[in-house]
Parts: sequence; structure tokens; C-alpha cells
Amino acid sequence: MNKASEFPSSTPASVSRRNFLRGVPVVTAAAAMAPTPAIAASGKQQWAMLIDVRKCIGCQACTVSCIQENAVPEGSFRTVVSTYSVKLVDSAQPAGTYVLPRLCNHCDNPPCIPVCPVGATYKREDGIVAVDGDRCVGCAYCVQACPYDARFINHETNKADKCTFCAHRVDAGLLPACVETCVGGARIFGDINDAEGELARRLKEAQPQLKVLKPELETAPRVFYIGLDERFTGKVEGEGTLWKPRNLHSTAHG
Amino acid sequence: MNPNIVETINVAREVAWLPWAVQYFFLIGLSYGAFLLSLPGIVFRRPGWAGISRLALLGALVCGLAAPVALLADLHQPGRFWHFYAYFTPTSWMSWGAFFIPVYLGGLLVYAWLALRPELARHAASGGKLAGLAGVLAYGGHESRGALKAAALLAGLGAVLVALYTGAEVAVVQARPLWNTPLLPLQFAVTAFAGAVGLALLFNRFGPRDAAANRRMAGVLAASQVVALAVGALWLALGVSGISPVHAQALAEVGPSANWQVSAAWAVAATVLTLVLAWKAPGSGLVIGLLALHSAWMMRWSIFIGGQEVPKTGAGYYTYALPLGPEGLMGIVGTAGLWVFLFVLITTLLPLDRLAAGSTDKAAA
Repeated sequence: MNKASEFPSSTPASVSRRNFLRGVPVVTAAAAMAPTPAIAASGKQQWAMLIDVRKCIGCQACTVSCIQENAVPEGSFRTVVSTYSVKLVDSAQPAGTYVLPRLCNHCDNPPCIPVCPVGATYKREDGIVAVDGDRCVGCAYCVQACPYDARFINHETNKADKCTFCAHRVDAGLLPACVETCVGGARIFGDINDAEGELARRLKEAQPQLKVLKPELETAPRVFYIGLDERFTGKVEGEGTLWKPRNLHSTAHG
Repeated sequence: MNPNIVETINVAREVAWLPWAVQYFFLIGLSYGAFLLSLPGIVFRRPGWAGISRLALLGALVCGLAAPVALLADLHQPGRFWHFYAYFTPTSWMSWGAFFIPVYLGGLLVYAWLALRPELARHAASGGKLAGLAGVLAYGGHESRGALKAAALLAGLGAVLVALYTGAEVAVVQARPLWNTPLLPLQFAVTAFAGAVGLALLFNRFGPRDAAANRRMAGVLAASQVVALAVGALWLALGVSGISPVHAQALAEVGPSANWQVSAAWAVAATVLTLVLAWKAPGSGLVIGLLALHSAWMMRWSIFIGGQEVPKTGAGYYTYALPLGPEGLMGIVGTAGLWVFLFVLITTLLPLDRLAAGSTDKAAA
């Protein structure tokens, strides 16, 4: 039994940061009596994330908090907000900015799992796609198989690395770091099976405009988007970025 | 490219399969290709093939022994290679490959030993360098045709499985349209075989300089180039016509890139040049041998390194600069160094001239 289930919460089973903050005074008062988790964790959860692109301001707070929370080596990223300058045709402005938060999609039909030659990549019962670091041989086959470029070889551990939905935090009843720090409240995390939870409610409300990345691959992502422009669901047809993180791993290799 | 969208911030993913992987796929391909070339003279005793086949067997051995080292080095946790055998995963071609490689190499080593025992004994009797070791390895120097054929069958089965897994492992990766085509395994196999003929041509050039063997191999190489061009043309036709959506997607992914256009033109030009030279000037063993080896290596470099330069979600292409350390240039140089060491070791026991002019050759011819 995990910590969260020891302390059932009266808060909804899924929350965005904004919703979470609304409950802060209650939580603070209750903290004097018993620890209260930010998310409930009873029954058979299936964790998922909804990203409301319309609310993302491209501040990269999620990118930075993820790096700090998960000790992601410099130059590597588990999540990032891809940012594009887009020419506008129906506006006085010549161009606008389009932002798209990206992370592991924790697919229900993940292409990274069957290719792993040692069974190190697996799907937890709660839907999180995880890597067993003790078993991973660093062959990078999963890195090739991920259609979302979400995986990479961590040059400090020499193992496959990716977003875990902050499984260590979720298991402790906390929100993923990126959700917690999202300034615009664009990331909503929760249990897809909890019909009363905010995530399920928001997913239901957004149903007509709900999208996933690369739906044609039938990977069944557990990261959903509202406000996802069709031109950005797959490989983006545009001019590539000139910016590239400094390559420091050769020194890490020794 | 859509000029209306410019990516301003994104992640540039590094290549995760390093030049070590290119070296592995190159060497293991040369090895199974050379093994195939060893069969006509050694197993089937086709007249005029014995010398060629023994030179090819040398190539199969040297490349086959060097290849797994490159593969191991491409793992970021090489010390954990035993996990492949402890945690077999039948859904993964790579997992199957870990079992196919020992089948092939085990069969190849036994086959080579049985085929070369008489030559080892001869070397021991001549009192040349490492004659003592040759005598021990010859273990009597007897010929055992039955055992030889059985070992060839095992190595042949292993070779087919290795060719299958090395092709399928890459071709099943849906996330990379350039790799995800059913023709890719065939393209790997054809270029591997052509490269193996090229290697045997070089051995012949720097060893016995047998003009008849050179002409025979030039003919085989020309035929392989025709097949390579035909498969390439089929790939392009399937992509351009749109009959095969996966080929069309692969073409769409790299077609607009000037770098890829140059690579494709280079590959076609090299193949045509090899074909024309092998056909019209079959005596040019050194040139066509080097050309065939170069094409086999370039094809793998373009597919693996070039393929990983295509972002899966981001715009444009990543840029790759070959690092000078073990994750780059030193990986290539190191593998080449190991290859040279194995070549020197084996040819000290079995000099090229003696290998090509073995007793069974004369008997068969």
C-alpha cells in the first residue's frame, strides 16, 4: 500500500496546479492534524495528463522544475515546451508564437516496451511507463522506437531515461513537478478512471477538441491535448531550430 | 519545408546508436556475406572456387570475430551484456539476435576449423611463424567432410538468422520512417554480400593475385550491383508512386534534404561505377573491391547516423558532428585496429598465398 492510500483525501482525485492551489488553505489547516496528499490514490488508478495548449505561456517552468526534481543532466530534457514562430495570415501581426509542451506520452500501446531486449522497460499497473534502471543495458533500442523523441540515454547513468510522470512523487500522493510548477495551469494530472476527478471531467468537456500526438500510430497516448494545432501533431513541417544544448556528455564519459 | 513555421526552441536529441553500431552492422554483414562466398569452393567443391572460398572464409572469420566487440561497445552498459541471456524477451528482435549471433559464430568457427585444418597442419610442417600453435590447432590436420558439411549447415542457419534479425531489428522501428520499410533487410543483405566480394577481391589482390579468381569475383560483384540497383529502383518506385505508404513516407522524410539528395546520388554513382568497372574492366580488383566495401559502409552510415538526424517530432534535421572520442572516431578506428590485429594473427597461421593455393583447390580444379 502506498502512502497516499493510507491518507485518503477529500480533494478531487485529479487536479491542476490552480485547483491544487485553491485547496492550499484547507490543506494547510489540515496539515496540523494529518498529512494530506495532493491527489487521492485509491483503487486502480490510470494516471494521465491533459495539456491545455491555450493556457501554456511557454515559460519553461515545467522544463526547469523537471530537471531539478529528477536530476536530469545538463543538455538533456524529460519535458520541454517546443516553441514555434508561426506566420499569421488573418492578423495584423506578421507572426505569432505557438507553444507545445512535450513529454513521454505513457502510451497504452507503447512501442518502446516490446523492443526492449531485456524487459527493462515496462508499464506499471497504474499506467506509468517506467524503466528498471537495474536491468537496462543502455542499448537505446527504446530510444529509437519512441515516436515522440521522449527518450534519451542519460550520460550520467548510461541508461535509458524519460519522463516518469514523477512516479516517486505520485506514489507519495504528490503531483508531478511539471504540473505543480505550471504557471498557466495548462497541465492537468489525474486518474482517468476517476469519473468525479477533474481530469476525467475536463477530458469529457473537451472531448470534441481533444487530440493526441501522432494518432495514426495507434500508440494510445495517455497525454491528451486541448488546442493542439493539426500542423503540430506529427513531425513539424518547418524550419529547424538553430539552438542546441551544449554537448557536455563527452566529458561525463571520461 | 514549410517556411511559415520556424522552430525557435526544442530539444535536439543526440544519436543513440553510435558509430560502433555502424561498425557492427558493417562487419557482421561482411562476415555472413563472406561465409556465403565460402560455400561454393569449400562445401560444394565448385571448380575454380576453392581459392576464392578460402579467402572469403578468412574474411568471414576476421569480420565475424571483430563484429561482436563493436556491438558490445555500442551498449552504454557493456558489463550488463549477460542480461540479454538472463531476461530473454521474445517480442524484441534484438533479444533474439543475442542468441542468433552465438549460433552463427559458433557454427562459423567449427566450420572454419574443419575447413582449414589441413592448411594449419601444412603450416606447422613448414616450420613458419607460430608453427607450434598451428600444429596444436590442426589437431592432426584430417579432413572430415561430413562434419564440415554439418558445421556449414549450422553456420548457414546462423548466417540466415543474423541477416534476418539485423534487417528486421531496424525495419520494425515505425518511429523512423526511413528505417521502417520492408526492403531494408534486403538492401542490407545485398550490400553486405557485395562488400564481402569486395573484401575477397582485396585479399586476392594483396595475396595470390590470381587473375582467374579476380575475374570470377568481378562477375559476381557485377551481378550483386545489378541486384542492388534493382532493389534501389524498386524502393524509389514504391515511394514515388505511393503504392507503398511506408516507402512514400520514407522518401518524404529525406527527399527534401540536400544532404540526402547528395548521399543518394553518391550511392547510385558508386554502384553504377562498380558495376561498369566490374563488367568492363574485371581486372581492376583493387578499385572495385574498395568501391564495394565503401558502398556497404556508406549505406550503413547513412541509414544509422543519417536516420537518427531526422527528428521524430521537431522541424528540420539535427546536425551530427563526429566526436573524436570513443563515442565517435575512436570507435571506428578501434574496430579497424581490432580487425587488423585479427587479420595479422590469422594470416600468420594461414598466409594468404598458402590459403588461396590450398591442396583442395588443386584437387577440385
